[in-house]
Amino acid sequence: MVVTLVAMSFLIFFLVEIMPGDVAQTVLGQAATEEAVAALRDAMGLNDPLLVRYFRWFGGFVRGDLGESLYMRGVQINTIFWRKVGHSVVLAFTALLFYVPLSILFGVLAGVKAGKAADSIISFIGLATMALPEFVSGIILITIFSVSLDILPIASLIPIGQTLGQNLNILVLPALSITFVMFGYVSRMQRSSMIGVMNSDYVRAATLKGMPRLYVIFRHALKNALLPTITIIGMNMGWLFGGLIVVETLFGFPGLGSLTMSAIKTRDVPLIEACVLFITFVFVVSTFITDLMYAFLNPRIRFAGGDQ
Amino acid sequence: MNTFLLQLRRHPLAILGLAILFFWILAAFLGPSVVPFSYTEMDMGYQMTAPGEGGHLLGTDDLGRDVFSRIIYGSRSILTVALMTSLFSSIAGILIGFTAGYFGGVVDTVFLRIMDILMAIPPLVLAMVVLGILGNSTILSLTIIVSIAYTPPTARVARGALLTCKNMEYVDAARIRGESHLYIMFVEILPNTIGPVIVEVTARFAYSIVMIASLGFLGVGLQPPTPDWGMMVIENKSIIRAAPWTVLYPSLAIASLVIAISLFSDFVGKVLIHEQ
Repeated sequence: MVVTLVAMSFLIFFLVEIMPGDVAQTVLGQAATEEAVAALRDAMGLNDPLLVRYFRWFGGFVRGDLGESLYMRGVQINTIFWRKVGHSVVLAFTALLFYVPLSILFGVLAGVKAGKAADSIISFIGLATMALPEFVSGIILITIFSVSLDILPIASLIPIGQTLGQNLNILVLPALSITFVMFGYVSRMQRSSMIGVMNSDYVRAATLKGMPRLYVIFRHALKNALLPTITIIGMNMGWLFGGLIVVETLFGFPGLGSLTMSAIKTRDVPLIEACVLFITFVFVVSTFITDLMYAFLNPRIRFAGGDQ
Repeated sequence: MNTFLLQLRRHPLAILGLAILFFWILAAFLGPSVVPFSYTEMDMGYQMTAPGEGGHLLGTDDLGRDVFSRIIYGSRSILTVALMTSLFSSIAGILIGFTAGYFGGVVDTVFLRIMDILMAIPPLVLAMVVLGILGNSTILSLTIIVSIAYTPPTARVARGALLTCKNMEYVDAARIRGESHLYIMFVEILPNTIGPVIVEVTARFAYSIVMIASLGFLGVGLQPPTPDWGMMVIENKSIIRAAPWTVLYPSLAIASLVIAISLFSDFVGKVLIHEQ
């Protein structure tokens, strides 16, 4: 994992650095004299070899120093970055609170009623919502809840001087947009693992013993059918952070995603590098943790469920 | 082919998906010659007109441009780019994945490492950063970048498909006959792995649509005045309260196309995976 991360950091650095456009020129504007540009290039250390610059950047990164923003001269990226990341984390977890129970519940229902009308409806809705880009489901939600019903804000802006905690209603629509996409993935996975478990011997045994159906479903079957679902939720955590860019741009939500977007618009190289590396970091780490968790949970499955 | 059609009859949702897809393909080919307005034409006096008024079927935006005509025009670029990217990333993915899986050993290890690293950046983020920094996206640059972003996952699928067939007897037979590696890979193995590969291509087609729409929405897709569905959404988002149709209809166009392809690819997956 560490190897992947280091290789990643180099790739990102390299990718952003080889892009056309002179950073010093961008900072000073088109009217700058050649001498001024050259002087600034020197001061910023842009004339050093690529590898030297990479190690300087990566060294700072490891020590927790993200460098200085180019667009907002003199602003340490650290001062803005972590607040935005915090907002995104809150948004991601709000979405998690929405979609995890919802998709597990409907996934179980579809799995138990496999082949019946309820299953077809749930599967169709899942397939449809999963396919949509986040901003499309977002627009549909805005049209319903903001334009027609006028009960939730169109834009997720935090008034100056206030915190996210005072404006919790701005979380609802972005979180629902994410729920739309994730519902399909998670409920599909839950459905298929539920079908597998419901056909297993121990569930049949429990049913034949005359246990109440709901008890069998939730106490016996669900326990084992949750494992693949947990895996897919974990795997999607990293993906979720990438998807936040679209959702946050749509709602103007002040998080990591809109920060990344504005960094790209303003060609703020250090900020782009910080954002992309962080998104990738979350992605790699969540995949890694998911693998660990799977290994951790697996013996219990073998113990309780027989061979799989 | 016949069994395919027979299967299709039993999946009404797949038929629905195909029908919608054909509608958009038709719109892309014939649309621009039958739409009532050009995509840049600004109908003065009809700014932000509600759907149905002044001959504007789906209304106009704040510049007085016909939303319906722009959506029809927009189907061209998104279908073109999506089709090309799913084709290119599949071809590149098959070439790379097959080579790695077939030769195994060091080649395969290096391949897996590189793919791990490339797949650690979410494709959308990768494409967004590169296109954003390059600026002024064209159909060509969009196609190239999205294809590159989608090659690693396709290569993995292709490699996995090849590995299931690699040790079959017919492969050994071909090797003993003295066939070349290329012949074995593409004449012997490819036809037998075509199921998962086709499933991958159709699924990739739907993902490409989502990706291209999202890139347009983020402002790093095709440049104005080319009508782009994603871009129409973000351009008009500020007037959503006054003229919701300017945002809603392009969104619904994306939704219908993506859902149609997903329904079809879901069906393809069911049929081809079950056959094996």
